[in-house]
Amino acid sequence: MGLLSDPEYGSMRFIKVLKRIHSPLCFLFYIGAVVWFFLLGHREFNNDTYFSENALLPGLVTNEFNGEQAAKQFHNELLQELEDKYEDTDEMPVPWLVAKMSQIHLEVYTHNFTLNYPLGQGQVFKGTNVYGILRAPRTSSLEALVLTVPYRPLSSHQKGTTAGIALMLAFAQFARPKKYWAKDIIFLVTEHEQLGMQAWLEAYHGLQSDSGTFYTNLGSFWKSKKKGWEWTNHSRCLDPGTLKGRSGSIQAAINLEFHTPKIKYIEVKVEGLNGQLPNLDLVNLVHKLCVKSGIHHSYKNSYAWVRNRNSMDGWVDGVWTMLGMMSAQIAGVPNGNHGLFHRFGIEAVTLEGRDADDPAGIPPRVHQLTATNFYRLGTALESIFRSLNNLLERFHQSYFFYLLAATDRFISIGQYMPSLCLLCGAMLIRALSLWVTIQKEDDKKEDKKDNDKDKDEKDKEESKVIENREGLRKRVKGDLKEDRDKSIFKEDSDIKETESISIVSIGANYFLAHLIGLGVLNSPLVFSHIGAKYFDKPSEVSVYYGLFCVSALIVVISPFLLKLFRQRPANRDELTIINILLLIEMSTLGLCVGMHNISLGLCVCALYTPLALLVGVREAKGGLKRSLSVYLKQCICLLLHPLVILTVCMMVYSRVLFPEEPLLSALGRGRDAAMQAIMFSIVDSLIYGNWLFNVATTVLLPVWIISWQLLCVTVA
Amino acid sequence: MSKFRNIIFLLFLISQTISVSSDDFKEELYIKPLPPMHLYVYFQFITLITGDTYEHSHLAPRSLKEIMSRFQVEELHLTLTEGQWRHKQWGYPVMDAAPGAELYAWFAPTVTDVNANWKKLSATLSGLFCASLNFIDAHNTISPKMALTPLGAMNIGLNYTSQFARYASLPREIVCTENLTPWKKLLPCESSHGFASLLNSRLIHNTNYHSIGVHIRKVCSNNECTNYNFEVKQTVALVYDFKIINSINWSFKLLFGQGLFGGCPLSSSSKIYIDLTSNDTLPFKLSPKPISIIQSQRGGSDTLLAVYDIKADSPMINIGAKHSIDNKFSVTIPPPLHFNRYVLGYGKEFGGIVTEITNTYWAPIDIILLENAPWWLPIQLSTLRINGEAESSLILKQYYSPGRSRQRPYHLELLMRLPPKSTTTVTIDFEFVFLKWQEYPPDANHGFYIGSALISAKLPTAKNYTSIPVDGTTLESVINASKPWYPAVFRTNGAMVSLPTPDFSMPYNVICLACTVVALAFGPLHNICTKELVLKPSGTPISLRQRIINLFKKKKD
Repeated sequence: MGLLSDPEYGSMRFIKVLKRIHSPLCFLFYIGAVVWFFLLGHREFNNDTYFSENALLPGLVTNEFNGEQAAKQFHNELLQELEDKYEDTDEMPVPWLVAKMSQIHLEVYTHNFTLNYPLGQGQVFKGTNVYGILRAPRTSSLEALVLTVPYRPLSSHQKGTTAGIALMLAFAQFARPKKYWAKDIIFLVTEHEQLGMQAWLEAYHGLQSDSGTFYTNLGSFWKSKKKGWEWTNHSRCLDPGTLKGRSGSIQAAINLEFHTPKIKYIEVKVEGLNGQLPNLDLVNLVHKLCVKSGIHHSYKNSYAWVRNRNSMDGWVDGVWTMLGMMSAQIAGVPNGNHGLFHRFGIEAVTLEGRDADDPAGIPPRVHQLTATNFYRLGTALESIFRSLNNLLERFHQSYFFYLLAATDRFISIGQYMPSLCLLCGAMLIRALSLWVTIQKEDDKKEDKKDNDKDKDEKDKEESKVIENREGLRKRVKGDLKEDRDKSIFKEDSDIKETESISIVSIGANYFLAHLIGLGVLNSPLVFSHIGAKYFDKPSEVSVYYGLFCVSALIVVISPFLLKLFRQRPANRDELTIINILLLIEMSTLGLCVGMHNISLGLCVCALYTPLALLVGVREAKGGLKRSLSVYLKQCICLLLHPLVILTVCMMVYSRVLFPEEPLLSALGRGRDAAMQAIMFSIVDSLIYGNWLFNVATTVLLPVWIISWQLLCVTVA
Repeated sequence: MSKFRNIIFLLFLISQTISVSSDDFKEELYIKPLPPMHLYVYFQFITLITGDTYEHSHLAPRSLKEIMSRFQVEELHLTLTEGQWRHKQWGYPVMDAAPGAELYAWFAPTVTDVNANWKKLSATLSGLFCASLNFIDAHNTISPKMALTPLGAMNIGLNYTSQFARYASLPREIVCTENLTPWKKLLPCESSHGFASLLNSRLIHNTNYHSIGVHIRKVCSNNECTNYNFEVKQTVALVYDFKIINSINWSFKLLFGQGLFGGCPLSSSSKIYIDLTSNDTLPFKLSPKPISIIQSQRGGSDTLLAVYDIKADSPMINIGAKHSIDNKFSVTIPPPLHFNRYVLGYGKEFGGIVTEITNTYWAPIDIILLENAPWWLPIQLSTLRINGEAESSLILKQYYSPGRSRQRPYHLELLMRLPPKSTTTVTIDFEFVFLKWQEYPPDANHGFYIGSALISAKLPTAKNYTSIPVDGTTLESVINASKPWYPAVFRTNGAMVSLPTPDFSMPYNVICLACTVVALAFGPLHNICTKELVLKPSGTPISLRQRIINLFKKKKD
């Protein structure tokens, strides 16, 4: 409790200790973070899932679902219809769906939307969604639940969803005469996968590109805010159209992807746009009700029917499940239509039916499982919807930020955050120690006389300790000492002249680096335009090479940026301050991103913390050893350029996927994959509002530029 | 002794004839199929009160009479509704009602403090009908300027619309048996005889829509209208869903659980009307056969009505309809004016309310739109857009009264002329506000209800229109009642928004945290105050390792 009694207590000693131990501390923090993260996969370190929302009352009702025959009939009719009329077209059987929903006596509507593709030659795509609303009796349509199925044509390379549509229709037929619904149910079939879903959701919430509604003509306080790049473009490319019929605010949504009723198990997909997750209660509900209905279910590497005998296997599985979840979250791309609901504050999950020979991988002992049928799927669906129907309030209990280690184990935000905090903490400690080295020079004049001797000894000791770990630090110390010795004999004015810090030039450089990032963010449209016009290349190629050229240009130019706006070369203190700012920005970025999307945050931090810790002020003179270490650092820095990371990752990944291919073609495949990945991230950012590309270009790239500058610029 | 008894009996008979001649009671039932899947059943019980004193009443409920005279109410409308009338699919009801509870009244011009009387009135009615009408307060009451006009006889030359009118709705109110029972007790036969015996609460609360109402107005007692009587109309509107009752063929036994055992002996007329217009598209046969079939031509629409006249002593009757074609799907033609209301946007910062009004008729229709937003949903007039334009030529007149936090709701009225065959979108934006933590209702994360908007229209056609004309009382007056235009007041659907809601487990956390901080601060303060500080001779600085060892040593001691 010294804090309250004496705020000055021990601060000097603290600084000394900090200076001495900061680099091993940073290293320890990094190791600690990694260890902490992997420990989370173990049963001892994560928790059992539980229902926090009491009103859900899962599984309390007696199942009445009797639509098995109807589902079979719908399925056969739909397959027949598709084979007869939609064999060689990608269109959706809108008349058939409208007719079936009308016969069930739902309120049926169709919804048209248009996509003006933002890149390339400006193609226009059109689509239609069909939805039917079951109006709950005795309510004024204030709340709704959504059951949605994406329509996939026969020619699609993905698994079909015909069984899902049939099941949905059978469930609608079963649910329509029931008097217990307290919320409307919207049955929705979307076209063009996520595009249709996004368009429907935007139209439902009234986000439209033309004037007459929301963003364009809100009050003036609105207008000034929303003139951002993303929104203007966003509204231009996807025209969601208008809905003719609506219900109330949507409480929850279930997305079905069943290609056949005879699936072996259900995979519950949760990851949404920008790594957003549905409320844990909903995920838990789906898993629990699958158990109750006798359906096998899984999540990533965790299969509900597999029981691990020893805890080591469980740990490994848990870690793999966590890593699987994180890899799905990093890109921020939803892995099902459910993911787009999350941004609108609607909890949603996808139930994907999987066979034994699913492309996602063959789980252990899958061939021993009995296949499901429409009856069991229907009862599961009924239980889920009747449970959701019980909700009094929208999902607000339980967790919104979590990682899943198994179908029934989770790690809450409070448990995984320390790992990220340790990574960012390492950077902050380094920043603090750099800061006190600058501060030291101001203090030293007063301190000098009292403990000069003491200090010299200490410094020697310090340098000794640090010597082995980090050559650079020693130089800094030595230099400091030199400075100190010099300054004893010099006048104050002299000191100011050499040591003065020009905040303006530091700020200008910082600003310029971020401006470059903003430029890169906006460049893809230009590249794609140039590429299409002059080189006749598809936009992914032109964007990739465009970004590549810009990156190369940045590598060459950025060290000279520091020389702009200044008369004399940057001195040590200025570079140290830039280094501190870099560390602070990096750790802030890590924490901010990690708060929203832990996977991306953790990944960014795990990659860039070493870089940020390695970067330091570089000396002009130095031996071979020193220059070698600098070259090594520069190589690491180049490898950590966002574009390089992506390309290398894709190459490694394709090598892993196709190990039999020759190396060169694997590299080519990796490059193509990287092109596609960049293209997808740009298009996702334009259409859906995925911010991965935005974060990478506007924050990560400037940070990288500054670390590159620090590694290239030398001080006398 | 027997003589004396005879005299008493005679006196009783005389008194009864006198009262019957002064008060008049009628009961009516109107059934209309709403193709393809619904059935509309509308009961109305009309009591005409003659005589001014409320102390003596025979057929009319004394409690209502007392309320009217105590609070000097000229006209009163109260509806308690569960569900939403779907105008687009079902056409128009005889009496529209907003979901939840809705109360509006006109007070006599002699009333000095209207607000006080209004508060007392709502509190009294709350007790009478077991409804939460006591939540009606200044912060959810408005005085409609144009949208509502009295239906009864009023003195000429007084502006009733603004000063003495009060309107409030409680969209969150849930209506159930507890409201129906006191409502039934106001009827002269209660629920033992007559049409009211059909109102079996177990069955009527299983409908898609049910609404009970009490409407009191003044009617002229002579042609010159120098004197007036009160008319109390009690209504029940039900909409059955054939899917839910699991049969497209309906009968009284299926709908109400029993047949009708004659009319109320105290009523002067008990009639059942069944709308046969949908017979053309979805043919059905009535059994037993109606007494007569009346054709009514009103404002360009032909209606066929089957009429049953029920006597008090008539035998049990179970009216039913049998359809010849089962489950035929037909396309419904929407009525001339239909509307939709919804909330825009997502997130907890800004939003908008949209009211879409569609005029499917070939001529323009004049409407008055009344938007009534609670104080926690500040709508700003500057953001009002009609079809996306700030300056719209559709608005003929406009009234806006800004709300005040915790005191007064926002109130907007627009007189608009809707162009023919068009959809007009009225958008107004709002900001979400933070409430104080005691102001959140239970289940705060359920969301907050926005009440219905009122649309008062002058319909040029009587298509789908079933309302009773202003000068009529019974359903009989509907027949051949052509007018230049048909007044109607509709309620749009409500909406729900979720305001920024705190985590209500937070106060507990805060208490824990605050206690911890206090406890932590107390320790050192107590130490400083009670212990003596003694200088300790300092030795050589000890290394970190030594210190850690010392730490363990201390523990040992």
